[in-house]
Amino acid sequence: MSSRILVVEDDERIRSSMRLALEEEGYDVDDVGSGEEALDHFAAQAPDVTLIDLMLPGMDGFECCRALRRQSAVPIIMVTARTDTHDIVAGLEAGADDYVTKPFVAKELGARIRALLRRARPAEEEPRVLNFGDLELIPEQGVLRHHDGADVHCTRTEFRLLCELATNPNKVLTREQLLDRVWGYDYFGDGRLVDVHIRRLRTKVEPDPALPRHILTVRGMGYKLVP
Amino acid sequence: MTDAAEALAPPARPDRLHGLLRGPLEMWERLGLQARVTGLFASGALLLSLLMGSLAFYTTSHFLVSDQVNAAITQAADGANTLQADLPADASEITTLLSDLDSSSGAQSVLVFQGTPYSSELSLSTANLPRGLLDLVRSGTPGTQNFVLGTTPVVAVGIPLPAVPGGRAMYFAIFDLSDLDHTLHVLALALVLGGLITTVLGGLVGRLASGRSLRPLSAVSRAAVAIAGGDLDTRLRSTTEDPDLAGLTQSFNAMVDQLQDRIERDARFTSDVSHELRSPLTTLANSLNVLEAHADEFTPRAQRALELLGADLRRFERMVAELLEISRSDTGAADVSLEYVDAGELVRQSVAAGIRTMPESAPRPVVLVDPVLDGVILSVDKRRFERIMTNLLENAALYGGGATRVAAEHGPDRNGQPTVVVAVEDHGPGIAPGERRHIFERFYRGQSSGRRGASTGTGLGLALVAEHVRLLGGLVGIEDAPGGGARFTVELPAIEGEEPE
Repeated sequence: MSSRILVVEDDERIRSSMRLALEEEGYDVDDVGSGEEALDHFAAQAPDVTLIDLMLPGMDGFECCRALRRQSAVPIIMVTARTDTHDIVAGLEAGADDYVTKPFVAKELGARIRALLRRARPAEEEPRVLNFGDLELIPEQGVLRHHDGADVHCTRTEFRLLCELATNPNKVLTREQLLDRVWGYDYFGDGRLVDVHIRRLRTKVEPDPALPRHILTVRGMGYKLVP
Repeated sequence: MTDAAEALAPPARPDRLHGLLRGPLEMWERLGLQARVTGLFASGALLLSLLMGSLAFYTTSHFLVSDQVNAAITQAADGANTLQADLPADASEITTLLSDLDSSSGAQSVLVFQGTPYSSELSLSTANLPRGLLDLVRSGTPGTQNFVLGTTPVVAVGIPLPAVPGGRAMYFAIFDLSDLDHTLHVLALALVLGGLITTVLGGLVGRLASGRSLRPLSAVSRAAVAIAGGDLDTRLRSTTEDPDLAGLTQSFNAMVDQLQDRIERDARFTSDVSHELRSPLTTLANSLNVLEAHADEFTPRAQRALELLGADLRRFERMVAELLEISRSDTGAADVSLEYVDAGELVRQSVAAGIRTMPESAPRPVVLVDPVLDGVILSVDKRRFERIMTNLLENAALYGGGATRVAAEHGPDRNGQPTVVVAVEDHGPGIAPGERRHIFERFYRGQSSGRRGASTGTGLGLALVAEHVRLLGGLVGIEDAPGGGARFTVELPAIEGEEPE
């Protein structure tokens, strides 16, 4: 079954061309022209990946992203014409998993989509259970919960990032390694993707996100997880 | 013919004169404003003190000399009266009388009586007197004359004594002027010294005054240097209440405001244009992708057209991206995200990324990374470094027949600071020394690359290399590669020892 992609883009010609090109790559594509329509459509048929242009009339891309994030962990790729640090970081803070800058072609977008949809490693014989703090992580089952049984909600990307860190406890993972394993980027990926996702992850798993005890920054090198 | 005749004519005199003056004039012109003001003040002071000194010397000496001469004349007249009233007949008595006169007047006397000279001093006679004075007095007119007797400056007063019986008697009194002479010498010395001091003081005052009045100018000059260096936020502080200078400060700042506004508007325009072009480019690129996927359904002619469309669309994309990159660093909006990276890994990854953008068929360069570089730390923006390598490799491919060698080394720079030097060499025609200065200019196309041919270059590649290297705090250079061709070098400061915390 092919993946279903929702394209949220107000420019009609860009939308049509993206639809054509993504269908050529083998995806099922739905497209809408505004953030409001996107939320309606999402309620009717949830896609596997959502592409949101940041510059939308009415509800802008950031707001649309936040609204979707409130109801779903669906992977979101934001599309921007501006490459200013501010826009990109703001988009990631709003809940996007990754970003592409215009002009982009469906081929490179396909690579990003595949990386986001990639499952955690194939199940081993016995599902692993990783523990840190009062949290329990079962990568193969996509489970993250407190020991008292309460689930912690996080996005697929956040979950995979946490799995990478938790399967290598006390070992420093560089931004490059994390970009490669979670997002499928090479050496030149954007380190801000990692930084913003780590920040978001901390708000979910750290008792005090300002003074992290489990997900630690190793200056100039990367991040490590201390159980 | 006339032309030739004219040409042969010797140059006119005024030209030669002008030629003579030209040297000093040009030297004067070359002097700084402060030096010239100092010179003018000093010469003014010199002239003034010369004038005042001469005047003072002239009036003082005139007054002193005439005073002395008048006194001498009075004394001599007294002596003459004495002699005229009671001239002894005996020669020895005459000498005694002259001695008496001398001791009372302080002069030396010579009496000519009946053709015979008498004197209180044996050495003194009419032979010591100036001939002009002798003749004058002999003709019956009294007179005075200054002269030097032996080494002593003196004034002689000559008086005819017509009342003396026997006729043709003349009396000369010689007065010593050494004291007066000495006084005048001292005066002259004092005036010359005073003049010199005044000149030096004048020069100093000129220097101080010009330095003071030039201070705002040097502030303007410093500000202009800063602005030329790219610091457009530089303004002159209007600390002075001086209305002459407030105008300068105001108009200077207004000029810089305008300049800054204009530069920012230009850069913003470029940035806006590049951004606006990105949306239609997205449509073009994706539509082209679909067409390319179905290329085999087209006729050969349509396929060729599609190829052309694809090649130039990619060039267009590159141009837009690079223009945006350039405009971003022009507006100062370039964000440099520095991180500490391992130099060896960075160079290998960046060169590999550059090579990936080359066509499959292109020859691959030899990549030599000094093993020492593994462990050398650079504080660098990886993306920018990757762009530098990609652009240099692409430049070599477009204009140098492809890069032959990429070498990365570790070494101290001219100041002994640790650096990493990456060199990209090709076997092309090389870059003439005269062109090296321009090669990093935007859209510059050198002699050797004047023909665009099938080139897909944007004309911004090397300009961006220079911009990236500048933002990373490094140096970019060109030299001849060993064995011909060009060798582009990028020198980046390395961090000594362990990675800083």
